Amino acid sequence: MQIQPRQQLLDMWRSTARLSFVDGDWQFGGRDGANSISDAEQLLCVLAPATEIPLFRLDNPNVAERDVLDALDAMGTHVQVPQRLVRALKKYVDRYTDADGTPIFSGDTYFEPGEPGAEIEPQQRRLDVVDSFSVSITLMLATIGFTRIFRQIVTRPELLDEVAELERAASKRLTAAMVGLLRSFAVNVFSAEDDFGQELVRMVNQDRRPTRQVVEELRNALREINARLRDDVTIGSGTKESGEFDLPNRLFECGWSWGIVQEAPEIETSDVGVQRPGRAQNAPYLYFTTVALDAIQALSSERTRLLGLLDEAQLKLAQSLQLRFELTRSYWAAIAGFGQARWPLEDLPWRTTDGVEADYFTLLVSGMMVQNQIAVRAPDADLSRVADVLEEVANRSRITRRSTEREPALDVHHPGLRFVLEGSETAGGPKLAWTVADISPLLLRRTLNLAGLLADGTARSRLLDLADELWRHLDNRSLTGGLTDGLWDQPAGAFPQLDVKFTEVSWYYTKRVVDCLVTASHIINEPPLRSELLADIAAELLIEAEHLYDRERLNNSTYSGDSLAAELKQIGIDLERARNRRRERPGVAVAVAQDVLRRLDRLSAARQATHGTM
Amino acid sequence: MLIFATSDKGGTGRSVTSCNLAYRTALDGKDCVYLDFDFGSPTSGAIFELPEVLAGVAGGGLHDFFLGRAEEPLRIDVWAESERDVLLTRPAGAGMLTLVPGDRGGSEFRATAEMVERCVRLFRRAEDEFDLAVVDLSAGRSYATEIALAATAHPDMAGVDARWLVFHRWTRQHIIAAAGLVQGPHGLLEAGRARGHDPAALRRAVRFVRTAVLDPAAPSQTGLRPEQLAWLDRTDRGLHELAGAQGVGRSVVLGEIPLDPVLQWREQLLSNQDVMLHGTANQESVTAFEQLAKRLFDDEAWLGL
Repeated sequence: MQIQPRQQLLDMWRSTARLSFVDGDWQFGGRDGANSISDAEQLLCVLAPATEIPLFRLDNPNVAERDVLDALDAMGTHVQVPQRLVRALKKYVDRYTDADGTPIFSGDTYFEPGEPGAEIEPQQRRLDVVDSFSVSITLMLATIGFTRIFRQIVTRPELLDEVAELERAASKRLTAAMVGLLRSFAVNVFSAEDDFGQELVRMVNQDRRPTRQVVEELRNALREINARLRDDVTIGSGTKESGEFDLPNRLFECGWSWGIVQEAPEIETSDVGVQRPGRAQNAPYLYFTTVALDAIQALSSERTRLLGLLDEAQLKLAQSLQLRFELTRSYWAAIAGFGQARWPLEDLPWRTTDGVEADYFTLLVSGMMVQNQIAVRAPDADLSRVADVLEEVANRSRITRRSTEREPALDVHHPGLRFVLEGSETAGGPKLAWTVADISPLLLRRTLNLAGLLADGTARSRLLDLADELWRHLDNRSLTGGLTDGLWDQPAGAFPQLDVKFTEVSWYYTKRVVDCLVTASHIINEPPLRSELLADIAAELLIEAEHLYDRERLNNSTYSGDSLAAELKQIGIDLERARNRRRERPGVAVAVAQDVLRRLDRLSAARQATHGTM
Repeated sequence: MLIFATSDKGGTGRSVTSCNLAYRTALDGKDCVYLDFDFGSPTSGAIFELPEVLAGVAGGGLHDFFLGRAEEPLRIDVWAESERDVLLTRPAGAGMLTLVPGDRGGSEFRATAEMVERCVRLFRRAEDEFDLAVVDLSAGRSYATEIALAATAHPDMAGVDARWLVFHRWTRQHIIAAAGLVQGPHGLLEAGRARGHDPAALRRAVRFVRTAVLDPAAPSQTGLRPEQLAWLDRTDRGLHELAGAQGVGRSVVLGEIPLDPVLQWREQLLSNQDVMLHGTANQESVTAFEQLAKRLFDDEAWLGL
């Protein structure tokens, strides 16, 4: 792999620390201004590797790696770094808590007006967004995990109080974010005849069969998911709609809307302050669904369970979220893989029920497809089909197939894919819009994830080649020169025809690149694939080598010089090593066995040299 | 400020590092005094290269002072007496560098209340007259340490900044020994409590200094084979884990002194000339001494976690 997570993450840390840590204090902000999402992303650039990769841990300065500490030089000494992180995290939580103690999850400067020139009203800027719930879950989990370890090292009472205070505040924000996600879940039920229904049927009907038949099959395929939605989803939003599914000819979709759904009921849990009324349309957005799923995955991760990061109330909420996670994942996998012939997923670009087409959506859906494939242990053949789709997305978005023209296909990189947030106008003001431009890092992360799942060496290396190409692309897009050197994003670095030059960092983008590097480090840390072929070859080589070795020992005098005895001893040790490594590292065993054979042959050749001369 | 230098084992480089700290601090313009409390073996004169007092003075040193045979212990101006070329004249801007030596042939003695009173007087004068007083205690649990603990707990010493440096080499045995010296039975904290110290406060005043550390990344280690470096890296990580578990981890470390060939063969002050002119010592060692000398006075470095 060309991706070298350790080196690249350390470079990124150096730049982040230098840029963020000014005059002894953490400074928020970036290209898109400070808001509850961007600020969390900025902190996660440091905290995500520090909590997800053991090598990068900062919570215990006693065992932190030296190069890791050196990279954060700008934040002070090994003793100061964790303390300053604690303070930066507290600063974040305080910034996004209302005077009455209610956590704020506003989109603020990430919101754009739906029509150019329209003026966003202040109360609209304060609207809560699913992106903020999700990133807060990730950041707060990382924070609590960090403080849990760090407080065991701390002895100073003042510092202990500070750490405990942060942990309390982070836990409250975590609960509030989970409540937010539970109130943003959307179930959209529609008739097969209306616009939504027609779009959905057209998308899934890849073999062009009669509509009535397809609708019936689709209803059958979704019946179980719907039954669980109806029976098990009992709190938060999305509880009322699923009953309508029993009416004839009804279809539905589920996932996360952009914010708290209109008329979403409040949720009873520990104190999370005011639960604000919802504004968002009751329909899933693919982007926010993906973002929410990622956060929920973190809630049920091994780390979260092992460290016991959730309290009792949070465990309950997490269970409810996990249920929605599974249903949503199954739903989209069912749609994307519907039918006997070509999967709807393979029909690029994906077309949403409101009639918008984009390769980016294909990428989002394939992510859910893969998550489902992990759950159902899908065979390599199915995984390979998704791999083909990812390659196709890379081509079509001009990452692997480059052109020199300024074509519309580049819009997804810059300015990005824009969609309107329906319902945002009900807060008073114009409709708001959201822009996403993270197709490249997301594609890389999905590619790495999928590569890690493949057991077939050839298919895996094909995907890793794609990952290398994607990384080269991302590498070209990093900012150069100045304080932001080595951070992201400079789209013109990969596409010179884009006439745009940024000097400020986009934390949104940089954090997504960090996610890729973290994923890459997980993949690299897994044991290499074991080739059966190599194991067989190693076994055969060992048979010959051992036989020759035994003959060497039997037929030649034990009364010989030191160097020959030493050589034979070394060969014996190497043979033992090759035998021991054969199962785990067959390639290593082959190499060692070959070396042994060569050395034994050199001895035998030397003995043969006596024949001619005697 | 009073700095007490101690170590569990001998051969940790406690004295040579302490002397270098005093030297670096003096070069930085602060007045320094070095009190040789290694009563069994008062050899700091050798490090400062004072030919008359290689192993202590003939009389009037710290032994005589404690035993009541001298009213004031002898003081030696290192800048004036040393034979070392770079010590011959006091560099412009440098502070005083004074040695208070022990007596030749003197040995350890049991502390009496009167000795503690004398010791308090000695420390108070050092505190008044100098910016830094380095008190070099002998290795292990010694009478010198007991006197120092008793003196620093004395009411007259209230308000005097007393800090402790524990030197240990970067090996398994030394890590465990250093941890034991501080936290173990009859260790510094326990002995301190018996003498009237608040153990929590005393613990906050203790920092560790790792000596003769083999830094795999240092240019001077280029001779090591790749296998040795790979092994060294793992061993180093294991030592960090051990140190963390023993309570002598990085968060309580004030400095690290790399392994230096010059110091290995000859305990001496490392001058800038040893690096620049003679090329015998490594720049890393001098930098480490400088940094450590600075951190002595950096309150945040002592704040800890």
